[in-house]
Amino acid sequence: MDQVAVTAFFQTLVQGLLTGGLYALIGTGLSLIFGVMRVINFAHGDFLAIGMFITLLLFKTFNIDPYLSLLVAAPLGFGLGYFIQRFVLSRLGDRLSEGSMLATLGLGLIISNSLLLGFGAQPQSINVPYAINTFKFAGVQVSVSLLIAGLGTVLAISALNLVLYRTELGRAIRATAQNPLGAELQGVKTSNIQAIVFGVGVSFAAIAGVLLMPLLYTFPTVGENYVTKAFIVTVLGGLGNLPGAIAGGLVLGVIESLGAFYVSNNYRDAYGLIAFLLVLLLRPEGLFGKTVKRV
Amino acid sequence: MTATAPSTRSRPRALTFGNVWLSVALVAILFIYPFVFGKAMNFGISTLLFAGFAMSWNILGGWAGQTSLGHAALLGIGAYSMTLLATPERLPPFLTSPLAPWWGALIGMVIAVAVAAVWGWLTFRLQGSYFALSSIAVALVIRLVVINSNWTGGAEGLFMPDLPKFFGFDLFDRETEYWLAFGFVVLTLVITHLIRRSRMGYALQAVREDEDGARALGIDPARMKLLAFMLSAALMALGGSLYALYLQAFEPHTILELPLSIQIALLAIIGGRTTIQGPLVGALVLSIFGEVFRNVFSNANLLIYGVLILLVTLFAPQGIMGLFNRAGSKLGTAR
Repeated sequence: MDQVAVTAFFQTLVQGLLTGGLYALIGTGLSLIFGVMRVINFAHGDFLAIGMFITLLLFKTFNIDPYLSLLVAAPLGFGLGYFIQRFVLSRLGDRLSEGSMLATLGLGLIISNSLLLGFGAQPQSINVPYAINTFKFAGVQVSVSLLIAGLGTVLAISALNLVLYRTELGRAIRATAQNPLGAELQGVKTSNIQAIVFGVGVSFAAIAGVLLMPLLYTFPTVGENYVTKAFIVTVLGGLGNLPGAIAGGLVLGVIESLGAFYVSNNYRDAYGLIAFLLVLLLRPEGLFGKTVKRV
Repeated sequence: MTATAPSTRSRPRALTFGNVWLSVALVAILFIYPFVFGKAMNFGISTLLFAGFAMSWNILGGWAGQTSLGHAALLGIGAYSMTLLATPERLPPFLTSPLAPWWGALIGMVIAVAVAAVWGWLTFRLQGSYFALSSIAVALVIRLVVINSNWTGGAEGLFMPDLPKFFGFDLFDRETEYWLAFGFVVLTLVITHLIRRSRMGYALQAVREDEDGARALGIDPARMKLLAFMLSAALMALGGSLYALYLQAFEPHTILELPLSIQIALLAIIGGRTTIQGPLVGALVLSIFGEVFRNVFSNANLLIYGVLILLVTLFAPQGIMGLFNRAGSKLGTAR
């Protein structure tokens, strides 16, 4: 194989892995929520849109650096998620699986249409000089903002792992995921834990939105694209399986960018969807692991 | 979707609105509409079409209990089939002269049924939210194929060519379209009534409430769901061709998108998916809401859907019709 083709391959691969990292971040939030509560959050993409619009708003009005708005978007996302679980989803009781789907669909519509009312339908972007820079590493060109996004993803997911496996809170979350009743009997306040988990999941979506903002245009219904990505990622990795979600994200990123480069760019979104359908039908437990290892 | 407690079923003739007379009354209102609001035909036609879509969706979504979030694809198959078959220059090797729209609509229905058969065969092993997720994916794949093919008009979509007269009626006349849409709604309503009291209807409800239980009774859940899906798809495609007539020009972004699928499903669920007239009532209520708030929300009209579905999920899981029925059964027992 000649040099150019090899470089092109690695360029595509790196691009795919970095995009995949962001998908992993989005998918981890969704998978965490599903793992603990068995709820598929159909509004996940719209929470991401909230993150993007917070960044946009702060940049346009106060000229705040997009990455600094993480300090606003992450806690706000957490609060929003906490509130939604506490006051909406927890009321569904035994109608949870169907009800949560409809309730989160409704919340998603409320969010995207409110953004539409507030910001208008036209795509908007922010301009930060350093974000459009690229640098070369061993012949492979990488954009700075994509690298920061990749870094942010690694940080966020490591932090989540630290909390889940090294703290009392994490133990309580894992207990709630395994057996809510048992956890409750051991003195875990599961309603609070579930709200925290939903908050973290939403916060992850918002963080992903912030990290995406310097890279892309945003518009009120942008969440629609990302909610399907999140579904694909989590199903590839196995719903509720966190390491799976990370791997699923990377796999999706690589499939998309290799497919777009070598087969056809027009069908970029189709590769993931087809992989998603195949996994859903043939290996519903996800690509990795025989049994579903939850959270 | 909880099982109805036996006590409510054996209650002596409660005044429920789930009967034929309510349907007759609703149809009568729709019949009178053009004579009263002759100037607001567009509103009438789109309301009727969406009512018909919701009724068609409900055969699968309500009676079989399979929440599809991909029905816009079936609607699109109807719209595209009719328009493409009337535009022979788009299909050179197969077609030399334009096909009359009614044949186009019929072929669209056949294609939709075939697609639904494969689609359902593939994905009905998935339950609940998983089925919903898969339906999103299938519909999106169909949309991508349409957007990236030349003969479908790609992302730019299609224009409706000149069409022959339908029994002497101009198909582009709003009044003709109203009556066609009216016929579509009546058809879906009649079919729903027939299903409700048929063997298939009972089998579907059994599958909806408890798939394993239904299997124990000798019902093949996969087959019943597939039948419901195919029927639903045929009606959806028929409605889709009427929608294409109404729009006259459409593109994948308006007719194959996820929000349209969600909108159709929510109309039925907000109205009451376990009742016969629920989807129709849902479509009427939401259209009126949408019209009233049009100046306030303009293109953010799905906001109302979001708020209502949240309220319905939290406080009235049987939808608007469920509220009526609850009120009605209280009245009935009080007498």
